[in-house]
Amino acid sequence: MTTTTAGPQAASRRPDATAATPRRVPDQRGHGRQASLFLAPFMILYLLFIIGPTIYMVVMSFFDTSLVKSGLGGFAGFGNYAEALSSSDFWSSMWHTVWFTILTTPPLVVLAFVFALLADRVRRGRWFFRLAFFLPYILPSAVVALIWVWLYTPALGLLTKIVTTLGFAEPNWLGSPNLAMWSLAITTVWWTLGFNFVLYLAGLQDIPRELYEAASMDGAGPVQQISRITVPMLGRTTTLVVVLQVIASLKVFDQMYIMTSGGPNYSTRSLLEYVYDIGFTDFRTGYAAAASTLFFILVLAVSAVWIFLTRRQEQQGA
Amino acid sequence: MTAIADTAPASTATTRVTQATIDSRVKLFNRVCAGVLIAFALIWLVPIAWTIDTALKPNAETTNTTWAIHHPTLASFTSLFSQGDIWNWYAASFITSALTAVCTVLTASLAAFSLSRMRFRFRYLVFWFVLIGIMIPQQVLIVPQFKEFGGLHLLNTYWAVVLPQIPTAIAVFIFKQFFDGLPRDLDEAARVDGAGFLRTYWRIVMPLSRPVVSAVAIFTFVWSWNNLLWPLLVLSNPKLMTIPVGLATVQGSYGIRYADTMASAILGALPLVIIFLFFQRRIVEGIAGTGLKG
Amino acid sequence: MNDHLDAHVSRRSLFRGVLAGVGVAGLAGCSSPIAAGIANTPLSPGTVDYWNLFGGGDGVRMQQMEDAYRRNHPGTPLQAVTLAWGNPYYTKLSLATVGAKPPNVAVSHLTRMKTLVEADLLQELRPDDLARHGMTPDKFNQRAWQAGLVNGKAYAIPLDTHPLVLFYNTKICKEAGLLDSAGNLKPISGQQAFLDALTRVQKVTGKYGATHGINADTASPWRVFQTFYAQLGGQVLGANGTQVLLDDAKAKQVLSYLRTLTVEKKLMPSSIDYQGAIALFASGASGFHINGEWEITTFQTAKMPFSMTLVPNVFGGPYAVQADSHTLVLPKQPDQDRAKLDRSLEFISSMLGESMTWAQGGHVPAWQPVATSEAYRKLTPQSNYAAAANAAVYDPPGWYSGSGSDFEILMSSAIGAVEAGQFSVDAAIAQIRAKLSPLAGAPSPV
Repeated sequence: MTTTTAGPQAASRRPDATAATPRRVPDQRGHGRQASLFLAPFMILYLLFIIGPTIYMVVMSFFDTSLVKSGLGGFAGFGNYAEALSSSDFWSSMWHTVWFTILTTPPLVVLAFVFALLADRVRRGRWFFRLAFFLPYILPSAVVALIWVWLYTPALGLLTKIVTTLGFAEPNWLGSPNLAMWSLAITTVWWTLGFNFVLYLAGLQDIPRELYEAASMDGAGPVQQISRITVPMLGRTTTLVVVLQVIASLKVFDQMYIMTSGGPNYSTRSLLEYVYDIGFTDFRTGYAAAASTLFFILVLAVSAVWIFLTRRQEQQGA
Repeated sequence: MTAIADTAPASTATTRVTQATIDSRVKLFNRVCAGVLIAFALIWLVPIAWTIDTALKPNAETTNTTWAIHHPTLASFTSLFSQGDIWNWYAASFITSALTAVCTVLTASLAAFSLSRMRFRFRYLVFWFVLIGIMIPQQVLIVPQFKEFGGLHLLNTYWAVVLPQIPTAIAVFIFKQFFDGLPRDLDEAARVDGAGFLRTYWRIVMPLSRPVVSAVAIFTFVWSWNNLLWPLLVLSNPKLMTIPVGLATVQGSYGIRYADTMASAILGALPLVIIFLFFQRRIVEGIAGTGLKG
Repeated sequence: MNDHLDAHVSRRSLFRGVLAGVGVAGLAGCSSPIAAGIANTPLSPGTVDYWNLFGGGDGVRMQQMEDAYRRNHPGTPLQAVTLAWGNPYYTKLSLATVGAKPPNVAVSHLTRMKTLVEADLLQELRPDDLARHGMTPDKFNQRAWQAGLVNGKAYAIPLDTHPLVLFYNTKICKEAGLLDSAGNLKPISGQQAFLDALTRVQKVTGKYGATHGINADTASPWRVFQTFYAQLGGQVLGANGTQVLLDDAKAKQVLSYLRTLTVEKKLMPSSIDYQGAIALFASGASGFHINGEWEITTFQTAKMPFSMTLVPNVFGGPYAVQADSHTLVLPKQPDQDRAKLDRSLEFISSMLGESMTWAQGGHVPAWQPVATSEAYRKLTPQSNYAAAANAAVYDPPGWYSGSGSDFEILMSSAIGAVEAGQFSVDAAIAQIRAKLSPLAGAPSPV
């Protein structure tokens, strides 16, 4: 069982390499009927609840569909898209989402990398670091929000207290439009850092120890070893971490919804919360579908960049 | 994993013999590393410690921002259990998360088995069609899915939470990768002996896939438990809500209730923390092996 | 092979465990939320599910009223749920009703109720059903009752009218010579009179004449503007929100006046948020405070010398003041029967009966048996401004309008920017037009 992770990883490069040429197949006619039975449970749910809604969303985005009326409503052509693209609210929530991504991604990548690097050098008590950094990641967002709203509470919160004890003015963590996004970013870094930490830790363990030994024979100190061996060897992991992080940050909703409701004065409303507001508060599902479609295109674009980068890394590696 | 962990002390041993001077520098460096890391780990634990600290205070005492607890009490927990919908929320979370996990494992592994072990027309097409699903974040589908479940008259039922979470394309992909890596000799021998595909799947492939089954099951359970946006939309009645939705929606009583709030946060997280402590290695290996992310 | 056997057994026991768990949970919860979640059965039959959005002092009083209902109706369990105020509340209420599991009774602002009616989410209240529980139109404040009708049909039972009022510090105003012999504020009317009053108060306090929330306040600037603008007879929206009727000249007059009070003469602080405005008044740094009457509890708790009266008629037209009403509505039930309807209406009538408790929180009762009672007349300062209920101006109808709505937010941000000195009057009017026209032009989703 020690090879559990190695097996699929080796196969991942060319997923169909082994399956393409079965050596002994008793049934030469193929297994169409049986295969469709095996596929059916997944495929039915997949078509009904993923593919179907995706098509429905695109169709709906061309209509003035309402949440509280049945049917698609009047045909709107590209009206919903035109409205979204000329709406300052759409663009400001897009900017908030991007701003949140900018604020969270660098610390989440860099800190996770540094912590993993440090943890890799510590031989005992690794479980403790895994616990400390990874435990927050498995907490529900609602729990994280409750904890941090309490930490940020004016006058009474622990963080407020620490800052004022250090002699600074009391920050209005969640109440000031300039500071609220930073506060949400701090919470998010605390919450999700553990995931990247674990990915990096695994990446570090895949680096052959002989490389370090050879380097230290050549007289390279720990710092040179890190810059010459560790950082380049973790290139693939970093690409993965960054892309997963960017996509996760673009999909941000929970923290804003619970901790600030998108406020103060809409300064933390994310794109997904905008879709929620127009679709479910204003009942304008047609327009919300158009905004969702634009959002979908953005996520697809980021994924495409990832595929492109991975391809290039593979080619360079080969 | 154990194999890799074992190599670490062995390799340092060689270093120690060959280069004594560098060794002492490395040792010092490692000490500094450990110190810095411990400091950060402790910082990371402060919010959790503070949560527990607050929950054990009486409500009135929470306005003193100190770690000292003058009158430790479990009153906040007992009052939560006696009032409010927290039991209903627990039930909803357990039922929806367990159903989602079981159904995801079954449907995804069945589909992956056929893609890995059977030959049929359009196999590649089907595989790519499933791969498309990885690119579709569920969050962008909230609007059409809500209209759909409204039409199906399933809003405010657990099925509205469970059904859209089952078809997880990434799970199919992970199972297929794993099945492809398994030796075929065993199941082909079984097929020669006359065992059908279903028997091969259930008796041979699935037992060999215990690690990936448990990884997918645990992850699906945890994601489903932590999901906020979709259950928030479809479970709008407080009695039917899952734990995160309930915590995010229903306002408590009035006045200073920070201890109660923190107690509810602890109760909301407790089942997952227990799962984490039990399956820590599985979860971590699962992430490392697949790069899963919610 | 041993390994496989183990795996097999453990898998099987795992599945059994899960199934057993789900089964036990199901059994434990026959005719419970769990049954409703799995089998879509009705939730908690026989109880009254009641949703509201009251926090602070209102929340405390609402709980007292709920407790009174529980005492008087021991046979009917009441389950009250409080959700976050504003848009989140209305979103939840709409989704629950669309999702066929609405509460039996819910609170709605009168200005939000029409959109819910047009979205077909509320049940019509037939006169004979209401009469059966003693609720006839003549027993309500007529302005609130009439404002609540949609196409002549009733959908909402008004509980109160909650107007914008003028809080004044009695000690400061006495020093400024603004009180009459009985210790009440002498009537103020006209632009110059109000300006003079603020100036005299400012001389006493040394800081400000009056305060209201401006920074990041999504309602107060609109409430103040609407009060003065309506005194000039102006309207903002027409034709159910599909037309922008903003009268530039009148809006300019009001905005210039507000600018004079804040930016130019500094009689009111121009950069202050809702809580800050309250704190300045409570600490005696200002002698007047313009806000909804519900803040009475805050100032009573602060144990300061204050009273309340109507917001002055500054622009001299027929008296008008911005207001809204809390109403009780019945969301459309998937399975409404007579018994359920009667339970809900009985609850509503019980809430009306507790109007005196509600009035203590500052709200003007809509229920005339209480509003005209001796006990209410003696309740001061609450009864000082009871006349506001008859001059109440509600937010204009429209799917994006009403208390806590997008409309109030966009109006407040433009008006607040003028008061904070960030916008010129013309820029604010231009922004209001620019933000309103896409909303007015968008096809109504209801």
